[in-house]
Amino acid sequence: MTSRGTPSRFLQSVLQNGVGRYVCQLKRISLVFSKKGPSSLGVREFIEEGVVDYAKNNPGTVVYVSPQPCRVPKLVAEYLNGNVKEEALTSKTSQQIAELITKLTNQSGLDIIRIRKPFHTDSPSIQGQWHPFTNRPRSIEPIGPQKPPAS
Amino acid sequence: MSSFTKSAQQWATFARSWYLIDARMQPPGKIATMCAIRLQGKHKPIYHALSDIGDHVVVMNTRHIAFSGNKWEQKMYSSHTQYPGGFKQVTATQLHLKDPKAIVKLAVYGMLPRNLHRRTMMQRLHLFPEDDLPEDILQSLTEELPQPREVPRRLDEYTREERDTFPRLWIPPEDYKMI
Repeated sequence: MTSRGTPSRFLQSVLQNGVGRYVCQLKRISLVFSKKGPSSLGVREFIEEGVVDYAKNNPGTVVYVSPQPCRVPKLVAEYLNGNVKEEALTSKTSQQIAELITKLTNQSGLDIIRIRKPFHTDSPSIQGQWHPFTNRPRSIEPIGPQKPPAS
Repeated sequence: MSSFTKSAQQWATFARSWYLIDARMQPPGKIATMCAIRLQGKHKPIYHALSDIGDHVVVMNTRHIAFSGNKWEQKMYSSHTQYPGGFKQVTATQLHLKDPKAIVKLAVYGMLPRNLHRRTMMQRLHLFPEDDLPEDILQSLTEELPQPREVPRRLDEYTREERDTFPRLWIPPEDYKMI
């Protein structure tokens, strides 16, 4: 498939987040893991070491830790704009999970798809948008072949 | 603040201009460069390869173009009719006598990018062998572009005074025989 056929969006931010103050866009995060499963080993380590610190450092984010018998431990991140992301944590170390959570915290929750143009502005021009007659000297005479004066 | 609406602004920004070029005594390559830039819209600050913002170019007096050097005799224009033995070659003079617009047209066509927009851009090029343009084209012209070369004057176009006051390196003596 060519890149034109893929979904795309324009470069944007959520309500100019970060211009005045920054609001973390991640509202809820839940760690689903198994108490016994070997693939959840890293998650259990992370819960022992880092999850309390993370919750203290990010008071705007609700952290759920839910042990349930499952094969694939997962991380469900919900954003303020309603987007939900699920990440599988199978056999990831505690270090890798910490990095993943930091990444999800910093994201805005917008879809990660092709961005059409790498630039965007809300105020396109202050001095006035260009048009074919800007910076062109005015002329009154009609344009055309120079005819000799009719006698 | 602009005094017109956003849609009018958009319309104004992407409006197509009509440029006029006088090809009298001008090299066709220089004319074609000017045309190719404007047909693609590369002279605009809003240029983008995916937006179709080429302008119209009207070239008049294509019959009176000027090649330099010996190009009229030695420049060859080749074509093939796709039949066996159908390779044709004509000199610039022969081609110009057959069609006075062909040399400028081929020069512009060769300078446009080789993509699907090429024929579309060529349709926005209007060639006229003389300087009598149709009324609707005259109405829509927005700017005449300056000629790339200064048009030389013939000796009979100088007035008597200009010829007399022309600076001379050497004044022949009275009894000098001019052959």
